[in-house]
Amino acid sequence: MHMRVIKTAFQVTVLFAAFLLLLTVNAGAMINGITGTTFNLTAKTGHISTPDGGSYLIWGYANGTGLAQYPGPTLIVNQGALVRVKLTNNLTVAGGGTPPNVSIVFPGQQVTIASADPGVPGILTKEAASGKTVTYQFTATNPGTYTYYSGTDSALQIEMGFMGTIIVRPTKGANFAYNHQDAKFDRETLFLLTEMDPRIHQAVENFGPAGVVGTDYLANYFPVLWFINGRAAPDTMAEPMAPWLPYQPYNCMPMMHPGEKLLMRVVGGGRDLHPFHHHGSHARVIARDGQLLASAPNTGPDLSTEVFTIQSQPGSTIDAIFEWTGKGLGWDIYGTAADGPEFIHTCNDTIVVDGFDDATHEYCADHDKPFPVTLPTNQELAFGGFYSGSPFLGSLNSLPPGQGGLNPNGGYTYMWHSHTEKEMVNYDIFPGGMMTMLLIEAPGVPIN
Amino acid sequence: MNSILKYSIMAVSVGSFLSMMSVFPANAGVSVQCPGDTDGSATWTGSEVQPPNTKCMHLGAGDGFITMADGLSQYIFGFSNLTGLVTRPVFPAPADDVMMAGMLGASFPAPPIVLDEGDEFYLTLTNVGMAVRPDLFDPHTVHYHGFPQAAPIFDGVPDSSISINMGSSLTYYYKINDPGTYMYHCHVEAAEHMQMGMVGNLYVRPAQDGTTKIYGGKTYTRFAYNDGDGSTGYDVDYPIQIGSFDSAFHNASEAVQPLPFALMVDNYPMLNGRGYPDTVNPASLPAPAENGGKVSQKESSLVTADRGQRVLLRISNLNVTRFYTLGSMGISMNVIGKDAKLLRGPDGKNLYYKTNSVTLGGGQSVDAIIDIPADAISGRRYFLYTTNLNYLSNDTEPFGGMMTEIRVN
Repeated sequence: MHMRVIKTAFQVTVLFAAFLLLLTVNAGAMINGITGTTFNLTAKTGHISTPDGGSYLIWGYANGTGLAQYPGPTLIVNQGALVRVKLTNNLTVAGGGTPPNVSIVFPGQQVTIASADPGVPGILTKEAASGKTVTYQFTATNPGTYTYYSGTDSALQIEMGFMGTIIVRPTKGANFAYNHQDAKFDRETLFLLTEMDPRIHQAVENFGPAGVVGTDYLANYFPVLWFINGRAAPDTMAEPMAPWLPYQPYNCMPMMHPGEKLLMRVVGGGRDLHPFHHHGSHARVIARDGQLLASAPNTGPDLSTEVFTIQSQPGSTIDAIFEWTGKGLGWDIYGTAADGPEFIHTCNDTIVVDGFDDATHEYCADHDKPFPVTLPTNQELAFGGFYSGSPFLGSLNSLPPGQGGLNPNGGYTYMWHSHTEKEMVNYDIFPGGMMTMLLIEAPGVPIN
Repeated sequence: MNSILKYSIMAVSVGSFLSMMSVFPANAGVSVQCPGDTDGSATWTGSEVQPPNTKCMHLGAGDGFITMADGLSQYIFGFSNLTGLVTRPVFPAPADDVMMAGMLGASFPAPPIVLDEGDEFYLTLTNVGMAVRPDLFDPHTVHYHGFPQAAPIFDGVPDSSISINMGSSLTYYYKINDPGTYMYHCHVEAAEHMQMGMVGNLYVRPAQDGTTKIYGGKTYTRFAYNDGDGSTGYDVDYPIQIGSFDSAFHNASEAVQPLPFALMVDNYPMLNGRGYPDTVNPASLPAPAENGGKVSQKESSLVTADRGQRVLLRISNLNVTRFYTLGSMGISMNVIGKDAKLLRGPDGKNLYYKTNSVTLGGGQSVDAIIDIPADAISGRRYFLYTTNLNYLSNDTEPFGGMMTEIRVN
């Protein structure tokens, strides 16, 4: 029964998101991040907020002189580029102690560090001491989804927020995940999954890294907050760069039309496994850790399989392609003449004969089939905030006062969430945490 | 006994109240929609004619009790099977029967749903209310977890569409196109309702069933998927659903206390709603007294097969707190499907693999075939158990929990 409290927040954030997305040209199709070949990252402190009212100290990689980010900036590079990442350590810690060294490791990349680099040797890589800079260099040889994260005191530093995503776009083009036709997509969304144990952040905020020494916080890790792209639901659905979330610039609001291909880039950013369940349909897992699931170089993802729950593993990445058409439901998702004259439409499968309407991707075999059941009366039902009042795609119907309202175009919405349902809470408040909604808009409704 | 009496009285009074409510608006209240069925029983009897490829089911959503393997009584939310109960005309008696049957009638796991490819499936869900928690007015839903090409109106996510209030019914429709091992659960306040027990087995048999295929020198007529070559043929199949309860959460719910979401840690690991050794009891467990004597744990996990037979295990996981690994000691599993898909690449490349363990998070499923050796000794037992060894317990009672046996006849 916490739902009602959250509902207003949903309403504000989602409507605002919809408004801002209208202003951003083409941003909905691509993942937010920074592009180029040279990246100046700065290690800093910041504070994230959670929808239950919490505020937690984080250590984050900032883009240049910007604010620390949770997660760090998504680095988007082109295949073949020589990438330089300069990391400057501007971390400060409570208690007056010396700030720890910081570093970055790049799993899946062949990193070189100049021998003259002022970085100091650490266990996994060279590190930047307080106030100093270290420069990493690699050639983005292979396309795909990768992570980067701290190589220094990783159990603490990654928990504190030193992690992010690298996307290497293939030479075949920006709308491909890999250099193969079967890796083409229309839209893409990042799902960087993390968890948080606030005891660690409170200890570091009060006492610096020394605050966790002598505790069992890292050994008996017990998360109570869960995030996608650094935000907990419903903030996941707010617009990117929301001014009230200055340290959490990235949202997670997948949107698409029927028949489009949505590339899901799922990154295990923390230390736990998460079963990420995407309602609506299966997704085809085409790659793991930047490796196309191919039996030979030119076969395409012939070793790929379809899943309804993506098993995200810590430190690992998965690329999956999700599609939805409503094929085979046995009723017309756009309604029939019996539902009213406004529902009259055609299904034309003539230009590309594939069983679907050439423009709308309606499944023509189900065209004009009536809705199969009688729905209960309004007083017998509870309504979701994303319910349009109608079972039909792109259609709205009246609802009792105060009900619905988050879905102004009558899209179909699907919950995408950790199926360790415990992780769908913000502390003790349900719903929240590792959750967002997929919005499938009717054909012709603009997205972006 | 006092509390039992209290619950029974509560059940009667809430039941009468709800069945009274159900006559108010036209078409409202308990209302089963099932083509060809005129008395609202979700079955076809007498002169009623079952349309081809049509299946119906009537589930109640409410609360109840189960008994854990160490004897602890546990309060649950759950589904009850009301199929077969006459619901028309609504007033006065038949709908009352439905409410009385559903009240405190929740079973764990939920009644299994077994479908065939090509079915048109009408599932009516009636919210019978929570007798033990009259302060709650929770709606309920059925989420067909994993059904491809879902539409929100029948997907059971309350945020995306509708859920049914107490005393009324909602009928879900699905055209069943894709065979495989799915699962179902209530999606209302999912962390709570699923922890409380609103989860169950659901699988779809393929159109290839009934055809004859020879594989490995043996003839099969039943298959996990439309494999084309009989490689998923089996002799016997068993749904095995992984689950676990946090007794502190259930106790808090029963005692109307704040629910410990963040502190949720499961201490009763189970297969099909029981901890070992109850898992190998082939019969229903005795009815708990607390629910007025309704049998609430009907699903055994005992697997029995003849030597040389192929056993299909339809393994799913609907716990809400962690990943579990199931190991098969002494006998290997051939994984032929995952998440209700035949394990083949897009060009048909076979990706089956043999293993002695499968790891599933909540909401994942695996189809695994076990070949019982032709020379296995009668009475031989193989064990299927979690290799997360600290979950081989029923709370403080060791050597129990998430384990069952595969017995050779």
